[in-house]
Amino acid sequence: MINENNGGTRMDREPTLSRKTSISYKTEEQTVMRGYNLSDLAEEGYSFYDAMFVLFQSRIPTEKEEKMLKYEMGVFLEHSMSPSAVGAIGVSAGRPNLPVCVAAAVSTFGGVHGPGAAHGYMLNKYLERGVKEGKTVDEIAKTLVDEYMDAGKPVMGMGQPQHIDSDPRAEPIHLKQEELELQGVYLEFQRALEKYFHARREADGRSYVGVNVVGSGNTALMEIGFSPNAGWCIGSVARGFSCAAHALYNMKKGRAWGASRNEPMVQMIDLSMIKYVGPEDRIVPKQAERQEYARKQKEEGEYKQWVI
Amino acid sequence: MGYLDQEKTDALNNLKKERGIGNLGSEKNPFDYYAREYGTMPKDTKRAPFQWVSEVSYKNVHRIVARGYDTTELMEEGYGVIEVLFVDYQARIPTIEEEKMLNYVMIMMLEDGLSAPAAISRIVAKSKTFLTQACGASIMAFGHAYGAYSSFGNRLETYIKRAEQENFTLGKAAELLVRENGIDEALGVSSLMLNDPAAKRMIARAEKLEVAGVNIKFMKEVVKAAQAVSSDPVDIDMLGATGAVMQDLGFTPEATWAILAITRSFGAGAHYIEEVERGELSKLGQQLSPKTDYDGPPDRSVPPLKDREKHAQSAVCKTPDEWKQRFEKMKGVMGSGFSIVEEIKDPSKKSGIKKVGKL
Repeated sequence: MINENNGGTRMDREPTLSRKTSISYKTEEQTVMRGYNLSDLAEEGYSFYDAMFVLFQSRIPTEKEEKMLKYEMGVFLEHSMSPSAVGAIGVSAGRPNLPVCVAAAVSTFGGVHGPGAAHGYMLNKYLERGVKEGKTVDEIAKTLVDEYMDAGKPVMGMGQPQHIDSDPRAEPIHLKQEELELQGVYLEFQRALEKYFHARREADGRSYVGVNVVGSGNTALMEIGFSPNAGWCIGSVARGFSCAAHALYNMKKGRAWGASRNEPMVQMIDLSMIKYVGPEDRIVPKQAERQEYARKQKEEGEYKQWVI
Repeated sequence: MGYLDQEKTDALNNLKKERGIGNLGSEKNPFDYYAREYGTMPKDTKRAPFQWVSEVSYKNVHRIVARGYDTTELMEEGYGVIEVLFVDYQARIPTIEEEKMLNYVMIMMLEDGLSAPAAISRIVAKSKTFLTQACGASIMAFGHAYGAYSSFGNRLETYIKRAEQENFTLGKAAELLVRENGIDEALGVSSLMLNDPAAKRMIARAEKLEVAGVNIKFMKEVVKAAQAVSSDPVDIDMLGATGAVMQDLGFTPEATWAILAITRSFGAGAHYIEEVERGELSKLGQQLSPKTDYDGPPDRSVPPLKDREKHAQSAVCKTPDEWKQRFEKMKGVMGSGFSIVEEIKDPSKKSGIKKVGKL
């Protein structure tokens, strides 16, 4: 059956949302991003990384900048089992459409997991303060470290719960940035921050905590002109590529639901995986008893320890 | 925690039995409710303990390894995102031509103006969310109509396989595909790209790079078959071009779906940023829905609760005929869901990794 309403010329081509935008436009003849015809950009031989500069910064990057982004995105893409991959796998257990798993994975990036924007905002805030207070980059980095550590706040970009003595991606990103001669104010700031951070921990008799991939990767991204949010987008969405692979592997080869007792290995949500530490089993009050029961419960206040 | 000991279990169950709990003690139940255990299941020591099983990657304290390749080493050797996609999804390093082709496809997929992914990203942005929420939402815009790479690709594979197994030409298979499925949202042929050469340029690039294979060859036959039966002008569109190219690059329909939806999500991130920069936030209850857009029941007074039974209509149907009648009637209630008939597969019985975890 030919369905011309769906496939023919009568399709509604009005925009889903009407907005003023300086990112792109699309006509029947072409799709144009920041003034460049997308098809021409691809035909000319520009890379996907170049296109990211056009998208977020409205400019063609230098070759070295393009190489830096290629390195950073590539090294961040796959991270095996981290919250994002586990999120994707967990969602895949119910066998929804694949994009749902990826959406969940990307959405795991928040204040702790890959906090690229937070790191960027932190650097920008202190750099601005340095300018206002007439401090050097080195001085303001020390101020940052002291203020964060005095307040007991984690310094963004330092430490990784799995790569406990050194994130395998982090220092190589710094080195690549130096090799490509892309050192600017951000790398100077980050290096100084790390120096004072290590010194402070050593002075406090605490163990070594290395820079993580956000600390070094986001420094590189900011150095080549990306805003904190653009950097965050680049990192977290790039990770989505590998999370989709993890979800897909589980959808195609893993056990749906993740609880079957027919698998030789105990599954992710096997009943035995549950450890309960809440209130003991108790009697459900009859409706006739309810009001008195509820009032007493409120008065005694024992429930408050369980409130979350 | 483990199971509660038997003495406490019996005491609790006896107390409940004396009090009675609704229908839970009914003899119609296929169980004795008051003989049930309390507490969590003890650890299963007869099977291997749970581990995250992966063919894709592993990491330890000092390295991250995808399909056998250390990812930092990959970057140091000059590879990038494009190559890692081949590594993650196909466990191989692509040729330079394949790398160039995927690069081309991803540039083309990066932006599409204010279509669904960008629109959703902007709507989410107005709620004052994290950027990542908006990017996630944009990926969810990819379904079996918009960016229908799974539907498109699996169908393409099915008919190519049929041509091989039943020994007929790709042209014949294409005619069959169009006849059996129509010119629908997952065909990859439509009126969308009649004035925009981008889809055809992509196919030409694949041929120039010599990465075109059976999928592109078949897609061309599908275009011919669709043009032969359509009363309106139609041609290959971006779904058809990108989908066929991706499958000739060796990506499965599902991998294609994910990779291209994620690629668009970078663009959606830029739209999130712009929306925040330009727009005002959206508050709960702020948006009005004009009555002129409303075509539901006319305004009516709410019956007093005491008269409820006089006004209420039960949905319980005593006969199949009654059921059918109501079903058809409900199709007129838009938003009730009765007009939608779809099949959602349950693949759970066919899944599992029986070889992993044996003690």
